[in-house]
Amino acid sequence: MAGQEDPVQREIHQDWANREYMRSSPAASRKSSDFLNSFDMSCRSRLATLNEKLTALERRIEYIEARVTKGETLT
Amino acid sequence: MPLVKRNIDPRHLCHTALPRGIKNELECVTNISLANIIRQLSSLSKYAEDIFGELFNEAHSFSFRVNSLQERVDRLSVSVTQLDPKEEELSLQDITMRKAFRSSTIQDQQLFDRKTLPIPLQETYDVCEQPPPLNILTPYRDDGKEGLKFYTNPSYFFDLWKEKMLQDTEDKRKEKRKQKQKNLDRPHEPEKVPRAPHDRRREWQKLAQGPELAEDDADLLHKHIEVANGPASHFETRPQTYVDHMDGSYSLSALPFSQMSELLTRAEERVLVRPHEPPPPPPMHGAGDAKPIPTCISSATGLIENRPQSPAAGRTPVFVSPTPPPPPPPLPSALSTSSLRASMTSTPPPPVPPPPPPPATALPAPAVPPPPAPLQIAPGVLHPAPPPIAPPLVQPSPPVARAAPVCETVPVHPLPQGEGQGLPPPPPPPPLPPPGIRPSSPVTVAALAHPPSGLHPTPSTAPGPHVPLMPPSPPSQVIPASEPKRHPSTLPVISDARSVLLEAIRKGIQLRKVEEQREQEAKHERIENDVATILSRRIAVEYSDSEDDSEFDEVDWLE
Repeated sequence: MAGQEDPVQREIHQDWANREYMRSSPAASRKSSDFLNSFDMSCRSRLATLNEKLTALERRIEYIEARVTKGETLT
Repeated sequence: MPLVKRNIDPRHLCHTALPRGIKNELECVTNISLANIIRQLSSLSKYAEDIFGELFNEAHSFSFRVNSLQERVDRLSVSVTQLDPKEEELSLQDITMRKAFRSSTIQDQQLFDRKTLPIPLQETYDVCEQPPPLNILTPYRDDGKEGLKFYTNPSYFFDLWKEKMLQDTEDKRKEKRKQKQKNLDRPHEPEKVPRAPHDRRREWQKLAQGPELAEDDADLLHKHIEVANGPASHFETRPQTYVDHMDGSYSLSALPFSQMSELLTRAEERVLVRPHEPPPPPPMHGAGDAKPIPTCISSATGLIENRPQSPAAGRTPVFVSPTPPPPPPPLPSALSTSSLRASMTSTPPPPVPPPPPPPATALPAPAVPPPPAPLQIAPGVLHPAPPPIAPPLVQPSPPVARAAPVCETVPVHPLPQGEGQGLPPPPPPPPLPPPGIRPSSPVTVAALAHPPSGLHPTPSTAPGPHVPLMPPSPPSQVIPASEPKRHPSTLPVISDARSVLLEAIRKGIQLRKVEEQREQEAKHERIENDVATILSRRIAVEYSDSEDDSEFDEVDWLE
């Protein structure tokens, strides 16, 4: 019995170890995906603010240019 | 059910069917799981690449914008430093000729179009099951509709909603209209009270105008007595009163066209005596003025002739009408009055008035010793006017006869003054203006009055010292005759020459109104199926009182 159990037990132990090991990697990948998601979100918000400021700047430049230069003539 | 944007591929690491006949099952499972983990990682890397790619694309477009913006800022800074407030000029053309600055008014909408579907989701979508290919049967449909639309129709939501919104707006509009009508009806009753005074005002006005238009002769007589203490006879004064209150031009124009034509023909006949020109019918005052003036010059020494004419003009009205106070527009009044008589009251009195003038003219001539001849010339001027009027009453012959005597008288007098040759021309001038002007149109009536007036003012200014009587009358003539008639014609034509700025503003208003319409049309064509447009239109109906809400739409829509 003991001899028989041994290999089984050994396998089970091994399995436990393997699963223990495998558990970490999906956790890591999950972590990385979480990070990617949050990173995406924060980047998007930053990009949004950047876009906002850029648009405002463009408009302001447009306005100032219009002030400085002559408007297009009416056809 | 939340849609997952990115799927990490193998979800279940260990849930796999074991191949048969494997000794060490546990190890196998472990290996498979490990392989799946690696696949997951690869999927994750793709996922990350996608995320970073999207972010990068966006940031990249920003960098383009930033670069171009930087360039513009640099250029602008250069051009701004070159600005010189001393040299800069402000031109009003900016208002009229140049478009106003308009910042971009782009609005994002239809954010969930199929094209905006991110790639990972698109991939997922592609994996999904497609609807049955019912479009194959489309060509066999009688109504030409897409076969698939009877299976699935995504635009159904919008179509139904749009229809509902339009229906809603219509209903609300109708409701508003009903309410408005009700409101209008209600206030009407209370308003009637305030309206009464309004009517009274009109009555007063009628009363004010009435005397001239409708009052009895007795009243007229009284008035005339009050107004005119002069030698003028009552019949004459009557017509004058008409004229005084009604513009001579209007009264003349009021004449039936046939009578006008008669007058014209007669005038032409008279003109025919001279081989002159009915053709030159310049209706404007300028022409009339021009003609008489040269004639005067040709006739004799301009000054002398002018003097006589002016006094004559001044006096003749006086004779025809009560002297000082009553007729501000004596000349036109004379003309118009006579015409009025002819047209309206075809009575004996009209014939009577024409005769008096000649004696009257004769009288003044002795009164003022120096300008006797001129006076007679003046009558000539005046006479032509009355004769045209008189003829309709009786016959064409009398006017000619009268004109002829006038002419004769004229030459006699001018002879002593200087030139016999000059004399004949003077008579022509008077008739000339009327024919030339008359043929043109009723409007010419004004011109009719003008030529004499135009003649007189110039002489009157020159001969001012001439006679004390003169000064009061000529100015009165000039002012009433020229001004009232000119106003209608000139006002609309001449824009306020006061300021160029006003013109610019006016033009600006024009441009804005017309161009707004154009833009609106363009917009309507462009986004007729626009959610914002439909919504704003529906809301606008609730605020707008007027029927057309298009402007409202555009405003809401732009803001």
